[in-house]
Amino acid sequence: MPATDNQSSFLNRISIRRNQVSSMEHDQENENIELFSKHVVDYFADLLPSHTSSTTNADPSSTSLESPAPDLHPDLLSICWFQNLLDIFLCCEAEFKAAVVMGRDPLHFGKPPLDRLIPELLDRAVKALDVCNAVSSGLDLTRQWQKLAQIAVSSLEQKPIGEGQVRRARKALNNLLTSMMLDDRDGNYHGKGTDRSWSFGRRGGGGASKNDRTGGSFRPLSCSVAKSWSAAKQVQAMSSNLVAPKAAEQTGLASPVYIMSTVMVFVMWSLVAAIPCQERTGLQTHLNVPRQLEWAKPITVLQEKIGEEWKKKEKRGAAGVLDEIKKMEKLAKSLVEFADSFNFPLEEEKVVEVAEMVAELAEVCQKMEEGLPALQLQVREVFHRIVRSRSEILDVVDQNGKASLPPVLY
Amino acid sequence: MDIEKDKQVLGNDEKNEKEDEAKLNNEENDQDQPINISENQENVDDKKENPDEDILKEEILEDKNIEELGNVDNEEDAPPPDLVKVSEEIDEYILILSNACKGHGTENVTDDPDSETAPPNLPISVEQFSGLVKAMIEEYDSGDVPVKWDQLTDEDVESLVGAVDRMAKLLKALSGFSSEYKYASSINNIGGILQRAMAYLEEEFRDFLEYHKVDEEDNINNNESKSKPSSNQEGDENAEKEPDQVDEKISYFCGYSEESMSNLYKLVKILMAGGHEAECCQIYFIARRNDLEEKLQKHEFEKRSVDDVQKMNWDALEKDIISWNETMKEFTSIHFTNEHKLSATVFKDHPSIAESLFNTIAKGIIIQLLNFPDAVAMTKRAAEKLFKYLDVYESLRDFHSKLEELLATEYSKELKYEASLTRGRLGEAMISIFFELEASIKADSGKNPVPGGAVHPLTRYTMNYLEYACEYKETLEQVFRKHQSMEGSDWDRRAPTEDQPQNSSNNDSNVKKQQSPFEMQLVNVLELLHDNIEAKSKLYKDYPLSMIFLMNNGRYILQKIKACGAINGSLNDTWCRKRSSCLRQYHKNYQRETWSKLLNVLINHEGLLVKGKVSKPVLKERFKSFNAMFDEIIKTQTSWVISDEQLQSELRVSISNMVVPAYRSFMGRFSQTFTPGRQTEKYVKFQSEDVEARIDELFDGSATSGGRWKL
Repeated sequence: MPATDNQSSFLNRISIRRNQVSSMEHDQENENIELFSKHVVDYFADLLPSHTSSTTNADPSSTSLESPAPDLHPDLLSICWFQNLLDIFLCCEAEFKAAVVMGRDPLHFGKPPLDRLIPELLDRAVKALDVCNAVSSGLDLTRQWQKLAQIAVSSLEQKPIGEGQVRRARKALNNLLTSMMLDDRDGNYHGKGTDRSWSFGRRGGGGASKNDRTGGSFRPLSCSVAKSWSAAKQVQAMSSNLVAPKAAEQTGLASPVYIMSTVMVFVMWSLVAAIPCQERTGLQTHLNVPRQLEWAKPITVLQEKIGEEWKKKEKRGAAGVLDEIKKMEKLAKSLVEFADSFNFPLEEEKVVEVAEMVAELAEVCQKMEEGLPALQLQVREVFHRIVRSRSEILDVVDQNGKASLPPVLY
Repeated sequence: MDIEKDKQVLGNDEKNEKEDEAKLNNEENDQDQPINISENQENVDDKKENPDEDILKEEILEDKNIEELGNVDNEEDAPPPDLVKVSEEIDEYILILSNACKGHGTENVTDDPDSETAPPNLPISVEQFSGLVKAMIEEYDSGDVPVKWDQLTDEDVESLVGAVDRMAKLLKALSGFSSEYKYASSINNIGGILQRAMAYLEEEFRDFLEYHKVDEEDNINNNESKSKPSSNQEGDENAEKEPDQVDEKISYFCGYSEESMSNLYKLVKILMAGGHEAECCQIYFIARRNDLEEKLQKHEFEKRSVDDVQKMNWDALEKDIISWNETMKEFTSIHFTNEHKLSATVFKDHPSIAESLFNTIAKGIIIQLLNFPDAVAMTKRAAEKLFKYLDVYESLRDFHSKLEELLATEYSKELKYEASLTRGRLGEAMISIFFELEASIKADSGKNPVPGGAVHPLTRYTMNYLEYACEYKETLEQVFRKHQSMEGSDWDRRAPTEDQPQNSSNNDSNVKKQQSPFEMQLVNVLELLHDNIEAKSKLYKDYPLSMIFLMNNGRYILQKIKACGAINGSLNDTWCRKRSSCLRQYHKNYQRETWSKLLNVLINHEGLLVKGKVSKPVLKERFKSFNAMFDEIIKTQTSWVISDEQLQSELRVSISNMVVPAYRSFMGRFSQTFTPGRQTEKYVKFQSEDVEARIDELFDGSATSGGRWKL
C-alpha cells in the first residue's frame, strides 16, 4: 500500500493556517529554495544513462527528506528506471512543498507573478492527474501483452518444438503485435464499432478476423478518460504556458514554481512516451526545457535521449519507448519470423537460436511481472500526492481570497 | 511415422501450399490473398504492416499439417478404426508410458532428455487415434463456416471433449520421451492436431461469450427473445427449444441462459484439459470486461477527465453525479454479484482461477468508477454542492462495506484504500463548506434592515440549509468524527471513529450525552447566526422594531429546530432554553418600550383627581394623548411584520391583555365625566372593543423579503 501523506491532518492544516506565523525568516526561505533546485539537479543526474557524477547522493543526510536510492542505474527507460523517476518526482514534490507552500503567508501567492503562476501550476496538476489515469490503464494493457508473450514463452519452451507449439506461440505473438499496432494507431483507440468493421469473416482464409478481434479487445478497456482525450494534447496543454521566469523574478518564488512545473511536465511526458496511452501524435514537440538553466541540464539530456527514442518509435510504429515493451516487440517479431519458416524437426542451431530468444522474452516477462504492479502503485501514489498538494496549495490561496474579498454565498 | 516424408510434405513448394489454400479458402473475399505468401516469407518487414497475412500464414500452416496427417491416414487401406476401441488402446498406452517414465525415477511425466530405458514402442493406435481426432476437428472446423459449438450434439461434444483430453494426456506422456527420434514426429503431429482443436475451441469459447448472451434489459420485457442465435442462423433448434423448457423462470447470469452457461463450462473444461489455460482466461477476461464496459456505457456513465470535471458547470455535474450514484449502486448490488456467480459456474472445476478472474475484472471496473468521485471532490467548493457530495460519500461508504464480501482481500485492500482516500477528500470538502458557511455568515453585513422587522433572508437560508443538511445527519456525524479522529487531538475521542452509522450504545452510560463534532458545528453555525442577527437588529432606529426583528428571527430559528427532529436532537435542552428565554426577553423589551408609556397614561391617575374630583382638562389631555399614542402605534406597527402566526397572535393577545383591561377600567371610571354627545365623541375615540380590534390588526404588514438569500 502506498504510504501517501493523507494521514496528515486536514483540520491541523487549517489550524496551522489560522495561526500561522506571517513572515518566515528570509534567509531560511532562500536557502530552502536553493536547496530544492540543487536537489533537482542531483536527482535527475542520477537518472542519466552513463552515470558518472560524483555529486549525487554525496551527502544524503544533508537533505531533510530521504533521497531515493537508485537501483544501480538501471537501463534508461526500463521499468526500473521509471520507478526511480517517480521516486524522484515524489521527492521533488515534497521538497517543493516544504520550501514553497508550507507555512506560506497567503499574501505571497496573491502578488504577481505568483497570482498567475500558482493557478497555472494547479491547472497543470489537474492535467497531470489525467495523464496518471491514462498511464495506469496503459499499464493494464501492458500486463495483457505480457500474458500473451508468456503464452509464447511457455509454448516454445516445450521440447521438442513442434507444429502445435509454434502455431500456438505464433497466434499469441500475432495478437500481441496486432494489439501493439492497433494501440498506436490514432483514432482507432476506442469504440467497438471501429474494430467490428475490421472483421471480414471468421476462420477460413479471413484469419484476419481472429487476429483483429483479439487485438481489438486488448485495447485498454479501462481507459479512464473520454474518447476524445489525447495524451499528447494534455501534455501540450501542460507545457504551453510554461515559461521561464524573467531575470527579475528569478530570486523569488517564481523560480521554484517553474522548476516544479518543469519536473512535473517532464515526468508526465516521459510516461506518455513510454507507456501505451491514448493518442500520442506529435508528443515529441510538446516539451521545451530551457538548456541554459543550471538545474535543467540533466533533464535536458534525458529529454533528448527520450526524444531520440520517440523518433525511432514513430518511424517504426512501435508501441512505446519503454525498454521492456521495445524488447518484447522486437523478440515477438523475430519469433513470428521464426515461426513462419518453421520446419519440423528443427535443426540444432535453430534450436539454440530460438531458445535464446525465448529466454530473452521470458526475462522481459519476468521484469514486467515484477515491475509493472509496482510501477502501477507508484503511479497511483503520484496521483494521490498531486491531489493532496493541490489542495494544500488551494488552502493557502483560498485564505488569500478570504482576506481580500467578502465571501458571497449567493 | 516417416520423418523424411514429413519433411517432404512440409517442405512442399508454394504450388502445393496454394493448392491447400484454395481448398480451404474458397471464400471470394479471400481468394486474392494467398498471393502474398511467398513475399511474406521473404520480407518480414511487410508483415508488420499487414497482420492479415500473418494470420493467413498461420492458417496455411495448420492446413499443411492437417493435410500431411491426412496423407498418412489415406495410406492405410484398413477399414476406418473405431474411436472407442482406439481410445481404449490409447488409454492403455498412456498408462504404459507413464509407468515407463516412473521407471526412470522421474516423478510423473517429464521431458527429461536423459531417459535411459527404451520407451515402449509406438503402437498403430496412436496413428489411428491422431487420424480420427484430426478428422473430427476437420469436420467441425473446415471451410468458411465452422460448425458452431452449440450445433454439436451431446455425443459429439462428449467425444470431442474426450478426444482432446486424451490427446493432451497422450502428448504429455509422449513428451517424456521426446529425445527419442521415432517419437518426435508423432509428438509433432499430435501437437499440431491438438493445437488446431484448441484454436477452434478458443474461437468457439470467444463466440459463445460474446454472442450467446441476451440483453438483460430486453430479457425483462420479452422472455422469448433469448440467446440471439449467433452469427449464423442455424441455431433455431436451440432457440426454440429453450422457451418451453424453462418457461417458469429462466435464470440469467449476466445475460447467459443456463444452457449457455453449461456450454461455457464445457468449453472451459476442454480448453483447460488441452492446456490452454492462459488463452482461456484471457478470452474470458476480455469478453466479460467488455460486457461490463458496455453496461457502464448504457448507464450514461461518461468517462470524463479530471480536467473536464473541473470545468463543468454545476448543473451538468449534478446530473453526472446522479447517474454515477445509480451506476455505482447497480454495479455493487447486481452486476458484480452476477459476475462472481458466472465465473464460479463457468470455472467450476477451477475455483481459484474463477476467483482471480472475477476479482481482476471487477477491480478494473471499480477503478474506473472511483475516478469520478475523485475528480468531483476536487471541484471548487460551494455551499450548494454539499448535498451531492453527501450522496457520493454515502455511495462510497456503502461500497466500502460491500467490497469485503465482493472481492478477495488481496484485491479489495487496494480499492478500499482508494475509496477511503476519496471519501477523505469529499469529507474535507464538506467540512470546508461548513467553514465557508461560517465565514459567510460572519461576513454578511448588509446595511439595509429588512422592512417591518421580518425574518432575514440569511436566517431563512441558513436554517433551510441546516435543515437539509440534517437529513444527512448520520453521515455528517461520520464525516466530522473521522476528521476529528484524524486530528487525534483534544476533541472528544470517545466518540466512535469507525463507520458505524449512529450508535447510541456508547451513550447509555451515566455520562451525560457528549456533543459530537457535528453537533458542535451546528451550534457554532447557530451561534454565529444569532450574533449576526443581533448585529443586524442594531440597524433599526426604532428599538421596538429591532425587538420585533429579533423575535421574528429567533422564533424562526427555534421553530425550524423544533420542526426538524435531527437538529433538535443535536442540540441540548440548555441551548434551546437559553434561546427561548432570549425570545421572552425581546418580547418584554418590546412591550415595555412600546406599551408602557401608553399604559402609564391609563394607570397613572396622578393629577387626574383633584381633591377627589376628576379634573376635566387633565382628563381631556389624558384621552387626547392616549388617542394620539395609540393611533401612532397602530399606524406604525400595522406595517411591521410577524409572519409566524402563532407569534403574531401571542403578541397580540399579550398586548390586548395588557392594554384592553386597563383601558376598559379607565373608561369605566372616567368616561362618564364627559357630557354625552359631542364632548364624549371628541375625547373618547375608541371603545375598548375598538382598541382590541386595532391591536388585532398589528404586525400585518405585507412581508417584503430581501430575496438575496435563497435556498
